Amino acid sequence: MALKETDSSKLLMAVVCLVSVCSSVPISDLLDRASQGSDKLHALSTTITQDLNSHFPPIGRMIMPRPSMCHTSSLQTPSDKQQALQVSESDLLSLARSLLQAWSDPLLVLSASANTLHHPEQTSISNKIQELQLHSKSLGDGLDILSGKMGPAAQNISLLPFSGRNDIGQDRISQLINFNFLLSCFRRDSHKIDSFLKVLRCRATKTQPQMC
Amino acid sequence: MRRDLRGALLLLLTAAVQSSSMSAPGKPVLLSCRSPEKETFTCWWEPGSDGALPTTHHLYYERERLEGTYECPDYLSAGRNSCFFDKNHTSIWVDYYLTVMASNALGNATSDPFKMDVMEIVKPDAPGNVTLWVEEREASPCVHVRWMPPSNTDTKSGWVTIKYELRVKKDNSNNWKEYTSGTQTHFSLYSVSPGGVYTVQVRCLLDHGSWSEWSNTTFVKISNYLQNERPLSMLISILSAILFIMAGLILIAKRKSVKQWVLPPVPGPKIRGINSQLLQSGGSDNVGNALIIKQSFPPIYFVWEDQMEDYLIVTENEDWLSSNSQKRKKSLIPACFHFDSEIHSKESPCHQNDWEKDEEMSQVDNNNKPFTNTGYVDFQRHVENVQEADVKHVDYSRVKEVKGDNVLFLEKEKVQSSGYMDFQRQERIPEDYSRVKEVESDHLVVLQKQNAADMSCKDEGNHYTDCALHKPRKPHVCTELSDSGYVDTIPAPPLM
Repeated sequence: MALKETDSSKLLMAVVCLVSVCSSVPISDLLDRASQGSDKLHALSTTITQDLNSHFPPIGRMIMPRPSMCHTSSLQTPSDKQQALQVSESDLLSLARSLLQAWSDPLLVLSASANTLHHPEQTSISNKIQELQLHSKSLGDGLDILSGKMGPAAQNISLLPFSGRNDIGQDRISQLINFNFLLSCFRRDSHKIDSFLKVLRCRATKTQPQMC
Repeated sequence: MRRDLRGALLLLLTAAVQSSSMSAPGKPVLLSCRSPEKETFTCWWEPGSDGALPTTHHLYYERERLEGTYECPDYLSAGRNSCFFDKNHTSIWVDYYLTVMASNALGNATSDPFKMDVMEIVKPDAPGNVTLWVEEREASPCVHVRWMPPSNTDTKSGWVTIKYELRVKKDNSNNWKEYTSGTQTHFSLYSVSPGGVYTVQVRCLLDHGSWSEWSNTTFVKISNYLQNERPLSMLISILSAILFIMAGLILIAKRKSVKQWVLPPVPGPKIRGINSQLLQSGGSDNVGNALIIKQSFPPIYFVWEDQMEDYLIVTENEDWLSSNSQKRKKSLIPACFHFDSEIHSKESPCHQNDWEKDEEMSQVDNNNKPFTNTGYVDFQRHVENVQEADVKHVDYSRVKEVKGDNVLFLEKEKVQSSGYMDFQRQERIPEDYSRVKEVESDHLVVLQKQNAADMSCKDEGNHYTDCALHKPRKPHVCTELSDSGYVDTIPAPPLM
């Protein structure tokens, strides 16, 4: 047993040394990759919304009864450019991570309800939701790595519990309404994440103005 | 009078009221909102009917996370029937609920509420300062396009990321070719041809918003200066074509000599004495005559001077080769006539000198049996060994008649022989042949009579003489001559 532990600790040391030697990937590159991921995430959510609205009148224009606020609305985020540029990098990253983390459970709910959605584009929507989950997971992992390089504030994640809307609705209309609402909340949050990461990317690459 | 005036006024009023119906204003409609840089936005509405009265419009809004109802901060900056929200009044990621109210003396009308979020209404202005210039390279020209981002967008903080697209059209066609430029503010077009007028337009996009309008068109004309160089290259190509044609004509005119030079004639096998023209002329007589060797009877072994051909000796026995390496290239293969009687002749058919060499060879032959296969024996040009001065051809003559033991009558016709013969050594030389004692005339050969004792199997003598000469002999041609047909093996007629 003792031998095993020394072996595994040696292995760990070797891996850490290797990682530290090999992995000097600059933060700018990591941020570039992360912002590309968030761009893709938001583009996907926009596509799903368009699929959803393709057979219905533009729901956004009409005042749909809003069931409630988005579950992430309690998080204080900058609401214009001026405010956003005043937030520190670590805080911006922390906000992005918190938002992303807050959607890991609700995406499961969305995915489950997409399977039983009464909509002509149901298959396409369902597939895209699955893709959304994958992208969200990989982006989350990337942001975790980034946070390790950006200071202690970046490690804070605000918990935003999703108040168990496991049943989206009984009838078709309320099911569609709730689905649409959840999706719109996700769209907003993915846009926020994308904007924050792009601001971070621009700040990290002062020598490369084309990154902005 | 006054009653008439009142009646007239009433009439006028009723008439006025009936002719133009004044009413409360119609319901205005909010058309759209747009944010050019994600920092401000503008909304436009369409007023309804004004009810023939001066009507004013007011826009009121409510906002998520903001208590109260507010009125539009700026009705003027964006033109008629619009409301401009500046930076202080713009927030993103929050919902705005807008309504427009039209009011006149007779009433109000309110539009339907319009919900919007700034993140959804982003549409930038078109890029500006689109400039083109032509780079004139030798092979093909190219057009460089450069532009500026729209003036109100912030490209330094990362708040927006701009992507560009351009489209190009040649001359007056309606086909635009589109290219994506990414985030660069310059682009190069390489598929341009001289003499064309190219029209270029650029547009841009902010993050996930809508595309802007196309920029103003910019033209560029690519000059035809390259065509001035064409006459020179055409001249050169014409001259070289003329040169080629001339060279080709010369070659064709002199094709025979060229052919001689390129493909030198290979000497083919030629049968001496055969008249090929007779062969070609046909006719059985001619063919027969052509094939018959016409020559005077010479010594029987043949040395030919001008048709010396070298043969390779093919042998399996290496000892023979090594010991006879020097002597490989010599041999004389006599064709021998066999006769019953030995005829004495001063000219020995198988000449002694030449036989000496053959002796050694044949000695070794007999000992080692080098020839297991067919051997072509090559001939040297033994000009020095020629005993007969005028032996030039390999000549056979046909024996017409044998008289007695030692007289041969040859046919007058000359039989031409082949130029060489294939000799097989593995067979033992048959026993009998006779020496020609003398040649009396063109057609008379006297053979030498020999005793068995004289013509023993001496080493210095010819090995072709077998000791068993007592065997009844018939004149026959040496059978060791191969059947390849080079030698005219005409069997002698039986003795009469």
